[in-house]
Amino acid sequence: MGETTTTRSWGVGAVRRAAGRLTSRGLLTVVAATGGLVLASDLVAPSSLDRGTLLTMLPFASALAIAALGQTLVVMQGGIDLSVAGGLSLYVVILTKYPAGVNGRLLPAIGIALLAAVVAGLVNGFLIGRLRLNPIVATLGTNALLFGAVLWYSAGIPTTTTARLSRMGGGLWLGIPIPVYIAVVATAVVTVLIKLTPRGRRFEAVGANATSAYTAGIQVRRYAGGAYVGAQLLYCLAAIVHASIVNQPTAYEGNNYLLPSVAAVVLGGTSLLGGRGNLVASAIAALFLSQLDQFVLALGVTYATRILVQAGALAVGVALYTIDWRAIGRRLSRRRIATLAAT
Amino acid sequence: MFVLALACIGVMVAAATAAAGTSGKSAVPSWCGPKKITLGLTDGFGGNSWRLVTTASARNEAAKCPSVQSLSYADGQGNVQKAISDIQGMVAKGVKALVVFPDAGKAILPALTSAYKAGVVTVPYRVTPGGKAGVNYNVFVDTNFADAGELWGKWIRQVLPQGGNVLMLSGPQGNSQGIDENRGLHKILDPTHKYHFIGAQPFEVTNWDPALTQKVLSADIAKYPKIDVIVSDFGPSLVGALPEFNKSGRKIPALATSDGNVLGCFWKKEHASNPTFKLFTVSTQNDHARLAIDWAVALASGGTKPSTTHFPSRAFENSVTGKPNPVECQPSLPGDIYLSAELSPQVQAKLVKK
Repeated sequence: MGETTTTRSWGVGAVRRAAGRLTSRGLLTVVAATGGLVLASDLVAPSSLDRGTLLTMLPFASALAIAALGQTLVVMQGGIDLSVAGGLSLYVVILTKYPAGVNGRLLPAIGIALLAAVVAGLVNGFLIGRLRLNPIVATLGTNALLFGAVLWYSAGIPTTTTARLSRMGGGLWLGIPIPVYIAVVATAVVTVLIKLTPRGRRFEAVGANATSAYTAGIQVRRYAGGAYVGAQLLYCLAAIVHASIVNQPTAYEGNNYLLPSVAAVVLGGTSLLGGRGNLVASAIAALFLSQLDQFVLALGVTYATRILVQAGALAVGVALYTIDWRAIGRRLSRRRIATLAAT
Repeated sequence: MFVLALACIGVMVAAATAAAGTSGKSAVPSWCGPKKITLGLTDGFGGNSWRLVTTASARNEAAKCPSVQSLSYADGQGNVQKAISDIQGMVAKGVKALVVFPDAGKAILPALTSAYKAGVVTVPYRVTPGGKAGVNYNVFVDTNFADAGELWGKWIRQVLPQGGNVLMLSGPQGNSQGIDENRGLHKILDPTHKYHFIGAQPFEVTNWDPALTQKVLSADIAKYPKIDVIVSDFGPSLVGALPEFNKSGRKIPALATSDGNVLGCFWKKEHASNPTFKLFTVSTQNDHARLAIDWAVALASGGTKPSTTHFPSRAFENSVTGKPNPVECQPSLPGDIYLSAELSPQVQAKLVKK
């Protein structure tokens, strides 16, 4: 940090500090990236911004944003949740197979799915929060159990979504798809709970430094385990949105969320080592990833190129936050000075 | 006189007995021989409604032959190692004939070969495992996916005689089914020079995943202002995606695809408001498993071999001519059943509702 304080630089610093409280580097980066992508879409592949395309992309982006919120909670605790695939698949199957087309059975189905989410979250929470198992190993195991439940319940057979749920997913309010409102409300509620309540602040403190939090008298295990329950509940909400936008979801829909949910968290600037997380940034990163998908589709490139572009975006996102660009810059300029001095 | 009457009665009884004998024999199909056998059936992946109906069709076919004393089934669950050990397990169990859906293709060939060399009648079907009949297995009961492409192409020429833009959707990148179907389609449409293939070539990749199909189709709708016909080898997965046309203020175009109850019902609901939505389907071929069973049982039990090892692609529904069938829909039954299958819709409904 520059130590030479002048009146001008103090003013700039104050503005920066104030902005820092409200935003984060991740949020600014992902907003700028999304803005850049929209611009690129407009210039190179304008069909990806057509109203019809946006009406398809936004509901999928909303479901991903909600799943990414859940993943962010877990990553904030220094964990990772690979059971998002099995969990989301199970909830989608419950939401479609239990009602079997009967609208009246939709609410009980949502209740059962939420109950299953709590159980799955508690299993993860117990294994990681209390037994201190490695999150990758524990959630991989839970994922297998959840897929077992999916196959036991559905035999892998897809069921058509109920008309009521389908109406919700395909519905518009003020010209905007209803799932978008659900995602915005979910992001706002989770952000307020984490950022503005004492429990939320403690949750962040545990993720930042569990030892310090423990010495401060915070029940570390409960918070670390609770993140997994919260995450599964959010996956369940994402499953409700997903089941409402796909007419006949397969038994393996959750697989589409595993990598993108982690990618959204990373692109949103939440450190995989835990600590402060930016939930709004994760949600916007989900929008970025979904639009990127649609952008590459609209370009009409081969499937291989599509996959490469998506992987490239993720690599750039990770590199932005994990590589110390300033240190590299300093080292390069030092080397240049040394070369100049030698000549 | 008495002797004559007795002779008449004798002739009548003999005739009646002979008639009864004939009718009893006609119930047993020719491929069912006299030798008692046990039968094995293994699947590389059994976890979807199409597989469920196909497996049930195989069981139903085997049940027609009283010489088949038992049928054991194993599901590889998409795991190649399990699929291989399932085949080995069947051989160890002592089955006399084995019908295999070799999803993993050539990876299954060594297991098939060892089953064949152990003296088990081995009949792979639908997906080519490589190798040769008479060396690695008894017979491969195949189907030519290009035939479906040709049927679609002929229909497109009838409903769009002036030509038009053709968009084809299939499963994963490079899947042989999609490539063969595309070849058949080109064979029929290219000589006319009137049809233009749009989208990624040879087909748009959808992984047969309804969510990805929705995204791909909406991108194509925005990109191509004129799509005259969609060709897809998995019709039911389009039901969620076709409303994308209406979202963009356009009408659903003609569709050449494979059948499914959910698709037929969707057409019945939408065709009035979408006059361009003409539908043609080929059978999804659940009954392919029946021909494989016929072969396995014939070879093991000493029955008459079927006349062909090739299961044909057949047209099923045509919304324009109503031939061979008009579009079918059973609204009271689940969407995930296939009305083109020999197995009755009610039995299929019970299977998928379990």
